[in-house]
Amino acid sequence: MGAEWFARLLRLWGVYSRMEFMWMTRDLRFFCHCFFCDAIVNLAAVSGTFLLAERFAGLGMWSKPQVVFLLGYGMLVGGLINTLFGCNVLYVSRRLGRGQLDHTLIQPQPLWLSLLTEGFMPISGSAILLPAAGLLWWAGAELGLDPGAGWWALFAMEILASATIATAFSYLWGSLAFWAPRAAEEISSSALRIVYQLTPFPLDGSGPLLIGGLLSVLPIGFVAWYPCRFLLGLSPSPCDGALTPLAALFFALAAGLTFAKGKKHYARTGSSRYLSFGHRS
Amino acid sequence: MRAPAPPGTSVSDIAVDARGLCKTFCQRQRSEKLSQVFANLFRPQVRLVAALRQIDLQVRRGEIVAYAGPNGAGKSTTVKILSGILAPDAGQVRVLGLDPIADRVEYVGRIGVVFGQRTELWWDHPVAASFEWKRVVWEIPRPRYEHMLGQVRELLGLDEFFHSLTRELSLGQRMRADLGLALLHEPEVLFLDEPTIGVDVLAKRHILEFILELNRTRRVTVMLTSHDMDELEQLAGRIVLIDRGQLAFDGDFDQLRRRFADRRRLRLQTRSSEAPQLQGAQLLGSEGGWHEYRFDAGRTEIVALLEEARSHSPILDVETHRAPIDEVIADIYQQWRQ
Repeated sequence: MGAEWFARLLRLWGVYSRMEFMWMTRDLRFFCHCFFCDAIVNLAAVSGTFLLAERFAGLGMWSKPQVVFLLGYGMLVGGLINTLFGCNVLYVSRRLGRGQLDHTLIQPQPLWLSLLTEGFMPISGSAILLPAAGLLWWAGAELGLDPGAGWWALFAMEILASATIATAFSYLWGSLAFWAPRAAEEISSSALRIVYQLTPFPLDGSGPLLIGGLLSVLPIGFVAWYPCRFLLGLSPSPCDGALTPLAALFFALAAGLTFAKGKKHYARTGSSRYLSFGHRS
Repeated sequence: MRAPAPPGTSVSDIAVDARGLCKTFCQRQRSEKLSQVFANLFRPQVRLVAALRQIDLQVRRGEIVAYAGPNGAGKSTTVKILSGILAPDAGQVRVLGLDPIADRVEYVGRIGVVFGQRTELWWDHPVAASFEWKRVVWEIPRPRYEHMLGQVRELLGLDEFFHSLTRELSLGQRMRADLGLALLHEPEVLFLDEPTIGVDVLAKRHILEFILELNRTRRVTVMLTSHDMDELEQLAGRIVLIDRGQLAFDGDFDQLRRRFADRRRLRLQTRSSEAPQLQGAQLLGSEGGWHEYRFDAGRTEIVALLEEARSHSPILDVETHRAPIDEVIADIYQQWRQ
């Protein structure tokens, strides 16, 4: 049964990646514009922190290569969720607010499978993933990291947990669009904007109240800073590595429950507003 | 062109079975007066709109049913409920023996839905890409897919734009492609919500002929809504009229005409250019010695009208025909409003 689902998942990812490839390669100039603009925009997004680290030879207890590692990690998380959840699957409030959930509901597969596959965009996603991998590689070389298989397994687990938290955060807020479709149409993008803006900063030195807030109400600390501390050996306790996956579990559960509740509401009220733009572009 | 009425019914022959469907929506009422800002904030006025009230509807397998009514009557709400997108507040729905919401995954694999106001095609991709996408998501076996693809391409004339981007298609082309897409998995029941809205006469003819062909060859059950009554009459053997959420009529088009007066038109050519006044008929217009009247054949006999006309002036020619169904329906809607 599990193998069947996995095979189906791969087939669906296959068809969506093929569609994205065909879309991206319809014109060479368009392809180059898309790819390089995405890469430049994402590098520019972390340049502020990089320049600060360069100017002050690090930030607080973080050396310059450690800051670059943090930036690479944050970009990798962003790249991963953009690769998996493009086409407004990540910005779910847009789909809900525009009455586009109906398209998904008439597909003969569970909703979670549609949401997990419909936004798969490996080509445009790689415009973020490649620079992120480059930053991580450079930082690793500067830091003299010689990771073994165990470290890589922890790295993969932390990355997955961070991506889950960012996605869950978007869905948690985005579900509000079930109740207020027009007013909350852009709430997912607003929520993620906060995440992306604060992700590239080491949070050490902030007060316990602020850090507590950034690890709970606004779980931005989990998207890069907290797991990077653990991976780079900056955290005091080796148990810290478990906190991000546990938080991921909690946020995924909270987002899932809120979304399910919203879906029930949607089944009762439906959507009287349908906008074609932004759908299946 | 109309589909033949299906033979006798047994319980297993029922494709769509809706009983006691009720659906109520809340509509915010808002005053634009500044003095009522606080009332709007703290005690917003909500109006309850009963979209469906105790709708009972059974559709047999292989039947084509026209579902019509004025704007806001509850047609789209019914189609959404039958498609599993919306849940009724009360009542039961079984289509092909399945609950559209509880059995959604299996159910939507056996039905097809086309909403005229929206598209299931991928906007920035060629039509061909949407069809391939459907094959994978609906898990249609390759030989079955190729067979159906060949059929819909030919019958709906999709070849001329099959490799064009959806965003560059005309409305008629898009509707044909949407219809083809909805049929690729060979649905047993097809729900069409205004499938020809905004479509030109030729494209409309293509679509209607295709629906009939599909019904004839594959015995697909079709339920369609439209405001174009001529179109519905061409397609469906049965019409269900809904008004303000309630079933107002369920029968065939001839019954509908008889029930809401048997409206006829009479055109007379008389020697005199002056139109004779006829008891029981309303003069609609006169031109070149031809005079057109409207009358109710249930109340006034045509022979009596002709006798009366002849007493005024010799009759040179006569034509009579039934009033267009659009006119009948417009009068019915008018009656309901009053």
